[in-house]
Amino acid sequence: MKAIIGLGIVSGLLLILPAVRYVLAAGDEPGEYLDRRVEIWGLFYRLMIVAFTIGTVVSGTIVWLVLRFRESNPKAKPTSYEDSGTW
Amino acid sequence: MSGHSSWPEWVYIGVVVALLCYVGAEAWNIERIIEHVPADAEIIKVTGQQWLWTFEHEDGTKEIGELHVEKGKAYKFEITSKDVIHSFNIHDYVVLLDAVPGRVNTVWFSPTDAGEFPIQCREYCGLIHYNMRATLFVEDKGA
Repeated sequence: MKAIIGLGIVSGLLLILPAVRYVLAAGDEPGEYLDRRVEIWGLFYRLMIVAFTIGTVVSGTIVWLVLRFRESNPKAKPTSYEDSGTW
Repeated sequence: MSGHSSWPEWVYIGVVVALLCYVGAEAWNIERIIEHVPADAEIIKVTGQQWLWTFEHEDGTKEIGELHVEKGKAYKFEITSKDVIHSFNIHDYVVLLDAVPGRVNTVWFSPTDAGEFPIQCREYCGLIHYNMRATLFVEDKGA
């Protein structure tokens, strides 16, 4: 198991390090003409999609949990502790 | 705990971590892309002081309270301040950077539309901060 994890870390680093070097090196090259508005607002909308997706999933999960495991739900079963009456 | 399956939790954690990685990587990448200044960008020195903006072009031309640029050309702003911290903002072109005394901050943009656009200080800098404005005039080439 340790060997697998070690191999995973080493191979991960072998992939990540060249990518990081490549990306950092790109910072020295002159840039191309672009429209800041398009880039920045595009990023904003993409991140808002992620934020709202996470928000929907999290709040949906909480609502489902509250409804499904409420005491008055017909499907609710007492836990083993509640069933036996001992803790 | 016995009788408890934790795989949905691991899936949940994995998805959240993946999304966070995506958010970080995407934001970092866009920031990197927009910070690359084109080689032929003209440098404009921007100086903020209570409560006006001064601009100096590469050829030495100075402007106070207004800035004339050419449509489609790249401009690199070198922004500083003479007194307190200001913030240089051209809202319509999403340009926003602090003007800090003793420090030169840079940002570049390339105007795509001709017209007049407001420039405004976005860091509270004193009594007349609200009126520390200038106007950006984007003109067609040869106009």
